[in-house]
Formats: sequence, C-alpha cells, structure tokens
Amino acid sequence: MKALIERIEPLIWVLFGAGFMVGSLLLPAWVFTFGIAQPLGWVPDGALAFERAHALAANPLGKLLLLALIALPIWNAANHLRHFSIDLGGYERDGAVAPLLYAGALVLSVVAIVAVIGL
Amino acid sequence: MSEVTKKTVVVTRFDPDQDEVPKTQSYEIPVQSDWKVLDALNYIKDEVDPTLSHRWSCRMAVCGSCGMMVNGEPKLTCKDALSNYGNTIEVEPLANFPVVRDLVVELDGFMERFKKVKPWIIRAKELAVEEGATRQSPQELADFKQWSMCINCMLCYSACPVVGNDPHFLGPAAIALGHRYNMDSRDEGSAERNEVMLEEGGVFACSYANECSEVCPKDVDPAAAVQQGKALSLLDWAKGLVLPRGSE
Repeated sequence: MKALIERIEPLIWVLFGAGFMVGSLLLPAWVFTFGIAQPLGWVPDGALAFERAHALAANPLGKLLLLALIALPIWNAANHLRHFSIDLGGYERDGAVAPLLYAGALVLSVVAIVAVIGL
Repeated sequence: MSEVTKKTVVVTRFDPDQDEVPKTQSYEIPVQSDWKVLDALNYIKDEVDPTLSHRWSCRMAVCGSCGMMVNGEPKLTCKDALSNYGNTIEVEPLANFPVVRDLVVELDGFMERFKKVKPWIIRAKELAVEEGATRQSPQELADFKQWSMCINCMLCYSACPVVGNDPHFLGPAAIALGHRYNMDSRDEGSAERNEVMLEEGGVFACSYANECSEVCPKDVDPAAAVQQGKALSLLDWAKGLVLPRGSE
C-alpha cells in the first residue's frame, strides 16, 4: 500500500494543488452566491430558480465545473490532513492514515462523479 | 562608542559526561547596543565562563556555523542583533539535532543527507579538453543560482516539522541543493538524482509548512525548490504515461 501511494504521489499532489486553487478561488464565491446572497434575497428573483440552475449544472461544462468544485477540495483536504497528522508526530501511523484518507477521497470522488452524471 | 546595558542570557548547558538531561544557566552580562547574539556568547566564553561550548567561525553570515535557537526560533547568531530582544534572551542548541555539548549539535546525519542527492555535476560523457568549455548563458545561470547560495547553516532543518518527525526526510537544504544541480544546464544526472529525491523521504514528504524559507538567512527559499521538484516530477510522471519506457 505504501509503495502504491509513493508511486501515485505526483497524481495526488496535482489533485491537491488543483483542489487548493479551486477551494480558495471558486468555492468561496459559490458558497457566497448560494449560501448567503441567494437566501438574503440579493440575487434578482428567478435568476437562480431551480430550472435555470439545473440547466446550468446539467450542461456538460457545468457538470465538469461542479465535479471540480466538489471533488478537488476533497483531495486537498485529504492530503493536508495526512501531512497535518505527520506534523503532529504521526509518522508511525501514516501507514494507516494515508490509505484511509486517500481511499475516503476516492470514494467521495466516485460518489461525486455518479451524482454529477445523473444530473 | 556604543551604549552599554545589562542583559540576561539564559543558555542551555549539557555535559554528556555528567548530565542526564540539559539544564539552563543564566548569565547577566554588560552588552553593547550594536552586539549580535554571538557577541554575547563570546563575551560569556571569554570573560565569565570558559566551560561554555558553542560553534562559530566567520562572524559574517557566510560559514553557517553559529546557528542556534534564540528565544525558540532558529537564528544565525552572528546576524541576529541583541537589540531585537528584551532584557532576557534564551539561547538553545538547534532543534531536531542531537546535542554534543551545550550549544553544539551533531552534524553527521545532516551531512549524510547531502551526499544522497549527489550534489555535483553528473555528465553522461565528460567533454575532452580540446572540445572547449561547457558554455552557460546568464539566463541558464539564473535558473539555479539562488539554490546555490545555501551556507549549510541547518536553520531550515531546525524549523521544519517534517525533519522532526520523519527520519527518512532529506530535508529542505539537501533538496534545494539537489534541485540546484537538476536545474543546471550542464548537468545530465537528474534521473539518477531523482531516484533519491522522489522516493520515500523525498520532495513529497514535505508538508508545506514553508518554515524553511521563513528562517533561511540567505533567502535561498528551499520551499520553492521542494515545490518545483514536485512539479518537475509530475511532468516526468506524465511523460512516463504517454511515452514508451526508456525514451526521452
């Protein structure tokens, strides 16, 4: 398992890096739009009505963006948590922590892919 | 003539023949306003307590010998002004290193890591003398010059959380040095070097704390070398997927 993780480390790193970008640039805007602006009525009536939002999300490009918004920050979190665990003196437990976190990220990514395809 | 005031220097003392654990000793000494932390230690050694052991040489931030923890942070003591601190200054040996005596730490593990990254120019075939010199443009020099400014003071190892936790980690300075040769246009040894830099304890063991670059007294920015190393390995990895084995 350790050898496998070592081999795919560059891939994990790029998912982590992409997740960092998406998480810091796009996710706040997303949360602001749907979590704050919409409930507070700052968005014009009907602009984010279900049909419109669904049409946007169900478009292939919309699906891809949605997938990136959901899955990439999960990889960012998994890798960060792994290194956080090592920084807290967890080098010995990394053999268990790393596969657990990456497997979790993989499962959630698959769930995200299935959900996005089904839109 | 600079002004003289009194300061208390609290120094970690450890004599392996007598002490089970390190202890501290306080010295109240007269200091001049333009002194560095190293000047205070030298004053203690020369005028107060000749049994104090500390390492130093050039006094101008070139030799990299006088790295110590000052008030808990890794500092080059010949560069670190006493006036940065209050009336009490704590000086300890560099963290993450075994202590030999007082403020002197063991360097062997650090040196071993340097050797691993093969910090020399590797060529598939040496140029014969009559073939002339290997030329390098100013831009090609600029590509790696920053990484060659390291003075091996070990402050980055002392600041790095991964060095403290992962016994296999090459560490910031060794990775920056390996990267320096990988980026050198005259070098052809990156594949050989990357066997070490990409395996367990290589660039991917870094946890992005960036403390190495924060404490570096020569602005080498080892954290950037580590991240660039990751990006280059990603390119290699992607190339390996699309190109047949053994091709360039």
